[in-house]
Amino acid sequence: MHCKICMHSIEKDTTWSTLFDFRERTLCPSCNEQLETIQEPTCEKCMKQTEEKLCSDCKFWEQYWGKDPLDRNVSVYTYNEYMKETMARFKYRGDYEIVHAWKDSFQQTFKEHFPKESHLLPVPLAESRFHERGFNQAEALANLVDQPLFAGMIRIGQEKQSKKSKWERLLASNPFELTETPPENIVIIDDLFTTGSTVRFAAQLMKKAGAKRVSSLTLVRS
Amino acid sequence: MNANPWSPRFSGKRLLKNELNLSESVFKGLLEKGYLIEIPGIQKVLFYHECQRCHTRKPSHFGKIPMKTIQSFSHQNSPTIKSITYCRNCIQMGRVSTNEPLYEWNGPVAKPRKIKQPSVWRGELTKLQSKAADAMVEAIRNQSKLLIHAVCGAGKTEMLYRGLWIAFRNGFRVCIATPRADVVRELAPRLRRDFPSIEVAALYGGTQEVDVTAHLVVATTHQLLRYSKSFDVMIVDEVDAFPYHHDKSLPKAVARSVKDSHALIYLTATPRLDLKIASRLKQLQTISIPLRYHGHPLPLPKLSQVFKLHQHLQQGTLPTKITRWIDERKSAKRRFLLFVPTIENAHALSETLGIPYVHSESSNREELIHQFRNQHYEALITTTILERGVTFPSIDVAVIGADHEVFDEAALIQIAGRAGRSADDPDGDVTFFYNVKTKAMVKARQYTELKNLEGKKFKKESN
Repeated sequence: MHCKICMHSIEKDTTWSTLFDFRERTLCPSCNEQLETIQEPTCEKCMKQTEEKLCSDCKFWEQYWGKDPLDRNVSVYTYNEYMKETMARFKYRGDYEIVHAWKDSFQQTFKEHFPKESHLLPVPLAESRFHERGFNQAEALANLVDQPLFAGMIRIGQEKQSKKSKWERLLASNPFELTETPPENIVIIDDLFTTGSTVRFAAQLMKKAGAKRVSSLTLVRS
Repeated sequence: MNANPWSPRFSGKRLLKNELNLSESVFKGLLEKGYLIEIPGIQKVLFYHECQRCHTRKPSHFGKIPMKTIQSFSHQNSPTIKSITYCRNCIQMGRVSTNEPLYEWNGPVAKPRKIKQPSVWRGELTKLQSKAADAMVEAIRNQSKLLIHAVCGAGKTEMLYRGLWIAFRNGFRVCIATPRADVVRELAPRLRRDFPSIEVAALYGGTQEVDVTAHLVVATTHQLLRYSKSFDVMIVDEVDAFPYHHDKSLPKAVARSVKDSHALIYLTATPRLDLKIASRLKQLQTISIPLRYHGHPLPLPKLSQVFKLHQHLQQGTLPTKITRWIDERKSAKRRFLLFVPTIENAHALSETLGIPYVHSESSNREELIHQFRNQHYEALITTTILERGVTFPSIDVAVIGADHEVFDEAALIQIAGRAGRSADDPDGDVTFFYNVKTKAMVKARQYTELKNLEGKKFKKESN
């Protein structure tokens, strides 16, 4: 077995206790150590690490757009240097296999926070980006969790989120469009929760179309 | 001659579509004309996949991207393909996959123009250097192979000048491949200074420079993965070093990057077994340079045993033997390098001693090395990354924990070779601190003794 991130071998010595252990390991101890899970205290809504009850991003949304369509966000990891590098390789180099390294903790987090009957909505990617990359990173993450997917949303905008400033993101127009009626319980899946505008735009549409609970599960809260 | 405007940019290269950086219409036109040929990115060889850029075959180096997705677009390649396979080994240079092929230039080949007077260098070579230089000229003329086995500080770069001169006059394309980016950064400016009328491209991960049919490419070995049938003269510096020696794909990259008839020159102070055997069996012409350019013998490493050294290292404390060594340097106002086995050791030691440290992942490594060279620091702690290629004029060297497995014979010889490099100060102290004596340490000492003996013999003969 090899670590999915650093690709070094993680073969353990064979002992009686490991001999019958068929679980597939996808992370080496050193990479595992550098992945930093989010610790309390956090914003109770979006899991940003902060002392305040509600972080500035969430407050801002409510001030500007009114009622927050997103019930809550759950994230797994912090956006530390190591995560930035790994994310860059995953998304911009297109190293799909890395997604398997996050499998256990992503599944675990889903089980802890979300009801079984939820549908997953991987945030859609603009067509041009999808072709460049060959996959949608949100869908790759959604596939780690064994839940039905909802595919009735498309993205119309082409612009890269990461190239925009915080203000531009918050004030941009909704880049999504619904093509089907959404189910009642929706969990939006994405790789990164930065200001939360992407996820909230998607949530807004679905709430309007009749979804009851819309939350999000993102790998990283930056 | 270079009628096609794209030829200088693409001749002799093997690139991904986005590296070609062409508009769709030009790209299609070149493909139709047959000027660009498509090479499948990943090929199936018997039971293995092989990446056609880095030539890895290890199953763990290949990843899969599922093609069945909810986001199905109208022009998806073919619905029958379940997944695409891509290479993870060289993904830092852009993704090669069963869906992302490589492209090679097949149109008119661009050649660098001949230069009548390529060099302004007026230095003189020693007798031994001259011998090696002539052998290299011979190898370039006959398009053959040559091993230059020269001790550290023999003046390898100058030895190349005569050969380079001939090559540039004939309009040959030359590549100097070296394992480390630090060496590229040191070598390229030197060659630019001494050969001002030729075009030089210095390539390593993160440079902006591009090679548009340059006369001379100075590159890390990894950069050769972007080449195919490109060079007339290939000089492989430090053939025995990591990662060239370690990574099977790099020798393949070198073999691919040269033209069918080419001269291949290996440079090293410490050839590994395979080259030694080839040399003994007369399969590989070899020139041995046992003497440094300044004619003084190599500093003989001193061995100094320290009990429980590795416990000390782990705790970040230092045994008296080593502190005494450091104090001696300080009182004599000698600058020194401390080699340690691991990054953690370097970090811990740096905290106790208050000396900066460098390792392969330090972000400010270029700057630290530069400042040490410019005498801003009295000392520097380093892992094996500074073991070779870099020259600091007059320093002492200690290896702390020389019995660690990272310090093999070659590494120790190279480290010892950092001392006494300048003619004004040809003696430097080299000390190996260890707990358990290893074969590598003994061999490194024997090597030094042997080379010094050979050097003495040569001096006697030539007088």
